[in-house]
Amino acid sequence: MKGRYEDENLTWIPLLIVGIFLLPFMLKGITYSYKYYLFVLNMVGIYIILTVGLDLLSGYTGLISLGHSAFLAIGAYTSAILVDQVGIPFILSLVISPLIVGIFGFLIGFPALRITGMYLGLTTMGFGFIVKRLIIALRVWTKGAGGLEVSPPVIFGFTFNSDWDNYFLIFTCAIIAVVVGRRIGKSKIGRALMAIRDSEQAAEATGVHLAKYKMLAFFISGLFAGFAGALFAHTNHFISTDHFDIILSIYFIIMILVGGVSSIYGAVLGTLFIVLLDYLFVPELKDLIHGVFNIEGGDIQSLLFGLIMFLFIIFQPTGLYGMWIKMKIYWKLFPFNPKKRLI
Amino acid sequence: MKKATGLFILTGLLVMGCGNRASAPGVSEDKILIGNVQDLSGPMKELGAVLPAGSNLYFRYVNENGGVHGRQIEMKVEDHQYNPQKAVAAAKKLIEKDQVFCLYQVIGTSPCEAIRPILAESGTPLVAPATQSGSMSDMSREAAGLIFHTDTGYDKQTRILVDNILADDVNAKIGLIYQDDDYGENVLKGAAVAESSTGAAIQKEAYQRGATDFAGQVANLMKGGATHVIIAGVVKEPIIVMKTAAAMGYAPKFYGTSPTMDHRVSLAAGPAGEGFTSANFASLWNSDAEAAVLYRELCTKYEVPEAYMGMYHFYGFITAQVLVEGLERAGQYPTRERLVNGLETLNNWDGGAFPPITYSQTDHAGTESVILVEVKDGVQTVITDWID
Amino acid sequence: METFIGLIQESISGIALGSIYALIALGFTLIYKATEVVNFAQGELMMVGAYVNFYFVTTFMTQNGEPTVGIFLIAFAGSIIFAFVFGWVLDWVINRPLKDEPIFSVIMATISLSIILRALVAMIAGPMSLIPYSPFGNKILSINGIIISMLDLSIIISAIILVILFYYFFNKTKWGVAMQATSEDPVAAQLMGIPVKRVYGLVWIFSALVATISGILLAPRMSLLDTSMGFLGLKAFPAAVLGGFGSITGAIVGGIIMGVIETISMGTLSYHFGWIKEMNDIIVWIVLIAVLMVKPDGLFGEEKVKKV
Repeated sequence: MKGRYEDENLTWIPLLIVGIFLLPFMLKGITYSYKYYLFVLNMVGIYIILTVGLDLLSGYTGLISLGHSAFLAIGAYTSAILVDQVGIPFILSLVISPLIVGIFGFLIGFPALRITGMYLGLTTMGFGFIVKRLIIALRVWTKGAGGLEVSPPVIFGFTFNSDWDNYFLIFTCAIIAVVVGRRIGKSKIGRALMAIRDSEQAAEATGVHLAKYKMLAFFISGLFAGFAGALFAHTNHFISTDHFDIILSIYFIIMILVGGVSSIYGAVLGTLFIVLLDYLFVPELKDLIHGVFNIEGGDIQSLLFGLIMFLFIIFQPTGLYGMWIKMKIYWKLFPFNPKKRLI
Repeated sequence: MKKATGLFILTGLLVMGCGNRASAPGVSEDKILIGNVQDLSGPMKELGAVLPAGSNLYFRYVNENGGVHGRQIEMKVEDHQYNPQKAVAAAKKLIEKDQVFCLYQVIGTSPCEAIRPILAESGTPLVAPATQSGSMSDMSREAAGLIFHTDTGYDKQTRILVDNILADDVNAKIGLIYQDDDYGENVLKGAAVAESSTGAAIQKEAYQRGATDFAGQVANLMKGGATHVIIAGVVKEPIIVMKTAAAMGYAPKFYGTSPTMDHRVSLAAGPAGEGFTSANFASLWNSDAEAAVLYRELCTKYEVPEAYMGMYHFYGFITAQVLVEGLERAGQYPTRERLVNGLETLNNWDGGAFPPITYSQTDHAGTESVILVEVKDGVQTVITDWID
Repeated sequence: METFIGLIQESISGIALGSIYALIALGFTLIYKATEVVNFAQGELMMVGAYVNFYFVTTFMTQNGEPTVGIFLIAFAGSIIFAFVFGWVLDWVINRPLKDEPIFSVIMATISLSIILRALVAMIAGPMSLIPYSPFGNKILSINGIIISMLDLSIIISAIILVILFYYFFNKTKWGVAMQATSEDPVAAQLMGIPVKRVYGLVWIFSALVATISGILLAPRMSLLDTSMGFLGLKAFPAAVLGGFGSITGAIVGGIIMGVIETISMGTLSYHFGWIKEMNDIIVWIVLIAVLMVKPDGLFGEEKVKKV
């Protein structure tokens, strides 16, 4: 299978990267509440790292994981314990924590060799619950259910103390993650993973080692999640088991689905869409509605979120990336558009 | 094209966020804006509706009597769904975007813990966090100097309950049912203190948040021969536990921590709930305490729905009193530092519901004692004075 | 001996709890069997059913005074009618617009539906929890020191009745056979003249029906009715999977196994082994993963032969 987007124009990527790093300055110029927006964007960045890895697992390989918040949790707690209690420098922990989470992913890969489809989803969900309990039980290091305070990230003597500093750290990491994710997706590994998704039997017949690649997919996905977890812990300064709820795992899956499965850019777009919707637009919209009507009760916020999601799925089931491709084709063909749907 | 639209939307959004910035955030000529992060659509959303309603009742009363130094109090509530990450986002929004003067009544232990770094970074005080976790008044923690806790911690409540049981009956065998999370952790801390100071062995049984079946735990307590059982639950748990025990023909004396004080416990448990004794850190809303009288008067005046009236609504009301007192003491030109200093001058201050509150630079614990309330003939009756 | 009686007592409580899981799992199973969609909103359907029933009970009660068994039966009938309409509407809103889309779009639609339902119910009913009525009061049955409440008994009995009904329906009636054929191969079924669309509609109605009945039975057992009741749907997941998604017998057996394991591990096991207390809520998941490792399609699931 040849890459679908091989012909795409890559010149805008450096522009985009420059734009990402200029954004905070722009925000600071426009509004005094830039810290709040930066905080939300930081969350987007961390989740992008995770969803890129999740996309490689669930989107490319078709192995559904409903336990990714647990991977995030392991990464976060590992890094917090390594840095604050063992005394390893943060930059080293950014390498070790992903490896440890990768090993956990490897372990979860074992059941995945036999269990498939929704059953696998439920198994990983169970893994999520088990990890949560494990974190509470290991209260000597994790302080149990009360939560753990974490030191800010320090790299070569520079302490990242504010959302402003964190933004540059997180987005540098996120860009690296996206680039690496795309490289993996386009490499031999990526093609093997896609072959497994399309038909395990056919993939095996053409010489793809099923067990090896499934375990590899979980390992890689774990690496990304661990990386995100380490950043999450240190930029948040406080982690507890309440942070890593099962709902979060479901949201991660929603993010890659909304973006459009098996495209790294889709995962990025989906994460951006869901986090901004949940943390920025909906509260904003709620304030707006509160300004017009005086509605009591706070459920309006989750109602709006649910409704927007629902309408989006009903009217745009191919996801954001599909929408983008559709629009591109529409403009390419412009005056001669066929009446029928293309995708 | 697409990028341009995105940029347009973003800019529009940012412009919406711009307002005029006062010298002290949230304070203008005639208004003080206060931020509140509640659970409006999560597992505790009942409290999320009732607590701010109780506070708003008092604010309305204050506002109609001229406000604080001529300024009207206004409260803005955000939702965190009992998720610490959302709590941080909501607190950021309130502090950075809505520019509130201070935070007030944020509910839940882990949400409160999670926003500590923000409080420290922006210097925003948090008055009367709605959690009874003893960690809130631990002065060694980050931002502790900005948090003013009003309630007696779960750990202290548990210790007082154990002491009280042993004072009644030296041979009592005590059982404890606790929620297996941060709440339970704090309760266990108190139980451990009581165990080491009295030498009593407490039989502990755990349950998970949202559990609906307690047959196993009750059977275990029965087997262990516990004569006095402390239930560290919220509202649902004591009802089911007492009903299950009654069905099994097991009749120990039941005790509960402050969240089980809700009057619906005795209502829903019926005869099984007779004699249930719970610890509370404030006077009852239907008692003769000064604040309770005012509360009931205002409830009739402003036609508060009957479903709202009760201990949680009243709790919102009396913590609002503490906040207003602090704002009064912050003076004509309040700043965040002046609010902190003002609250720290509270010395044996009696608002009429809490036991006398004293704050100082080294102590932000507020109250440290409780009263015990027993259900007699289906009516909650205070049976002790303030004890600690 | 005492341990033995304790074990029996816990098993009976566990069977009652398991019957609830089984009823929810039955709802999952019905939809999954026909459409391969995992309905994440099943718990919310149950919650809506409980609220509607509560609404009916209070409405009739204000006219007649105290809630009696008669009123409860009328309210029950009203809720059943509501469930029919509700299931039909859901089919129109979720299933039909998305019929050509990947299964995952439908699953996501059910997730957002669950969010919407929770919010809507809370907005209509208000934030305060309600105290649900039970037609059985606090009555209990005691046999040789083993106690079972009438409510639990009614839950177990209705689970049994529902299973028999569904079993009969699927194997003996025309529509039931049509449904089985549709779940085997929708295209072939369509070619054979089965109205597949209507079959799908029926599936959603059935599943709303089961959810409503379990909601009505469960509400008094929870002692307070609030919208977080919907989260119980997540707890019934392992039950449905353990039995094998798509098998009615599996849903019941899986539910009861999970219920019994949960109560016994909280009771006798954690009494004798303290460390079990640390892992009460995950013991069912450990059992589930262990079973799936041996039988990847659940206890009663059919193993699919995969072709290229």
